[in-house]
Amino acid sequence: MIENFLTDLRKPPCRARRKMVPPSLPSSMDTRQPMSKFGHLVDIDNRTVSPHAFFDPEVYRAEQEHIFARCWLYLGHDCQLPEPGNFITSYMGEEPIIVWRGPDRAVRAFINSCRHRGMKICRLDEGSAARLVCPYHAWTYNSQGELVGRPEQQKYSSSFDASAWGLIPVPRVASYGGFIFGCFDKNTVDLEEYLGDIKWYLDTQLKRTPEGRVIFPGVQKWTINTNWKFVCEQLSGDNYHAPIVHSSVGRLGFLGKPGQFAKAAPYEQDFEVRTPQGHSWINLSPTVPPDAHESFEPYEAQVRSDAAQILSAKQAELTDCGAVGTVFPNFAFISFLGSIGFRVTLPKGPAQTEIWFWSAADSEAPDWRKNMSRDINIRTFTAAGLFDMDDSEMWTGCQESMGGFYRAQYPLNYQLGRESGRRETERPGLIDSTPSESGMFGFYERWRELMTS
Amino acid sequence: MNAQSDVEVRAIRDVRSEVEDLLYREAWLLDRGLLDEWLELMAPDIRYWAPVRLDRARGKEDFSRHAQMAHLDENHQGLVYRVKRVQTGATYTDEPPARVRHFVSNVRVTALNDGIYEVASNFIVFRSHVGSKDCLLVGAREDKWRRSANYWKLKERLIILDHTTISGLAVLF
Repeated sequence: MIENFLTDLRKPPCRARRKMVPPSLPSSMDTRQPMSKFGHLVDIDNRTVSPHAFFDPEVYRAEQEHIFARCWLYLGHDCQLPEPGNFITSYMGEEPIIVWRGPDRAVRAFINSCRHRGMKICRLDEGSAARLVCPYHAWTYNSQGELVGRPEQQKYSSSFDASAWGLIPVPRVASYGGFIFGCFDKNTVDLEEYLGDIKWYLDTQLKRTPEGRVIFPGVQKWTINTNWKFVCEQLSGDNYHAPIVHSSVGRLGFLGKPGQFAKAAPYEQDFEVRTPQGHSWINLSPTVPPDAHESFEPYEAQVRSDAAQILSAKQAELTDCGAVGTVFPNFAFISFLGSIGFRVTLPKGPAQTEIWFWSAADSEAPDWRKNMSRDINIRTFTAAGLFDMDDSEMWTGCQESMGGFYRAQYPLNYQLGRESGRRETERPGLIDSTPSESGMFGFYERWRELMTS
Repeated sequence: MNAQSDVEVRAIRDVRSEVEDLLYREAWLLDRGLLDEWLELMAPDIRYWAPVRLDRARGKEDFSRHAQMAHLDENHQGLVYRVKRVQTGATYTDEPPARVRHFVSNVRVTALNDGIYEVASNFIVFRSHVGSKDCLLVGAREDKWRRSANYWKLKERLIILDHTTISGLAVLF
């Protein structure tokens, strides 16, 4: 059974992959690395990862192509673009992106870069416009990305083909429950197939009420001097660090009751999941924040009992649980103490990362419950969060120790968790008790697969 | 200004001078890590919050509103958690202790009703901790202080950071 699962994991992530070249890039300019150059960085048998994966500029450059140009990446939420003309700016790896709702209400995404000289045509976080004018030479584009104007038009040759100089589109844009993703690779599977087994778990949190989650306006952005993978791997299944790094707030009651996550019934509500697609999930039995609103527990009990109408019975059992989940590579959400938040971890160089964080709540929730979700989220997992402040110290400290010649000879250890996981009929993925580093190593197995193919 | 009598001007200056002393003392308490004493300045019904800033077109509000995302949004209990967290001695942001320096300036005081004063100020907060991770935060505060017979209590603090992307927020303002 385990062998089958590992075979699944090693299956090519997408259909037989042709050499991928963006439509407008001559093939002579294809700068891809030869195959398998990075395979040795992840030792699958020993469950270790080389420090080179975290600081080497060559690895970082290759990730832009092998990871970020191939995976489905989170762009934003439907409710940020309610009207035609609304746009938000975002990133896919290092590519700046405009996400723009057209007059036909379709959401399209483009690289935020003028085709003339490359200037970012949009320098706002969000706004509304029928057309965007590049600040540099005023090339002008509509929300379908078409080049619809440029000064001194008569000085261009009559053979100038404006249709060849539109904004570079993100060829695939799709949404799941209002969460909009984009993908550059035409050969990658559709979004729903890409989400695969994690969808079942995502639904326990995103679709626990009929209307789903609503995102509060505004995003918190903060930079951390660390490689993006140190952030993403933690959100891919590091429940090992929690009682240690967060012992300060544990003492204040923010980690549940003492012994809450230990082991009475390890697979019921407290467990971890890895999926063949590289996504992962930590599920934690429900926690009540130290000064919870008096109606909090009855509200959650009601959601859980109503959820049986819209989800499977096994899913409904998890709707009031805490969870930390990652959609490979860099979209994560944290649901804990009655709050829920979403984040994207953006690569900004081998040793710098930017986190974008949104807060959310059940769409139908009464105001007190929505506010509670927001307030706790802000208090715990943002840059000033009681949890995240200490996490940042870990990530920067890991990065600082990595770059030297000698340290880089010694791999990092992901061996926690002797079990190899188990299969269940009603819950997808490979399920482990918590804590385990199986899920987070699944992140690196997937990373290796993409970096070597 | 012209309409104000000398007596009124002197009264405002006196209050401003008193408020400046208060803000300098508060900054000193934070820099010295005297957090219990700092908490004593906080009113039980305080709202202490920092909206996020956004790049939006001129004329559009560029910071988040009440029920939206924020860097901080605390009541009194939340500030108590923040102080107690540091006092456990088990944080990594404050062990070994960070060096924090608050600079407060541009103080303007407006008297409202019922002993409430609106106090606006600018700040620079510098934080240095374990090697090279120095952090500089710049912004303004819009406070409401309640003045009783012998003491002042902070009722509301709006912290307006002049950053859209920040590089660490392990400080109190």
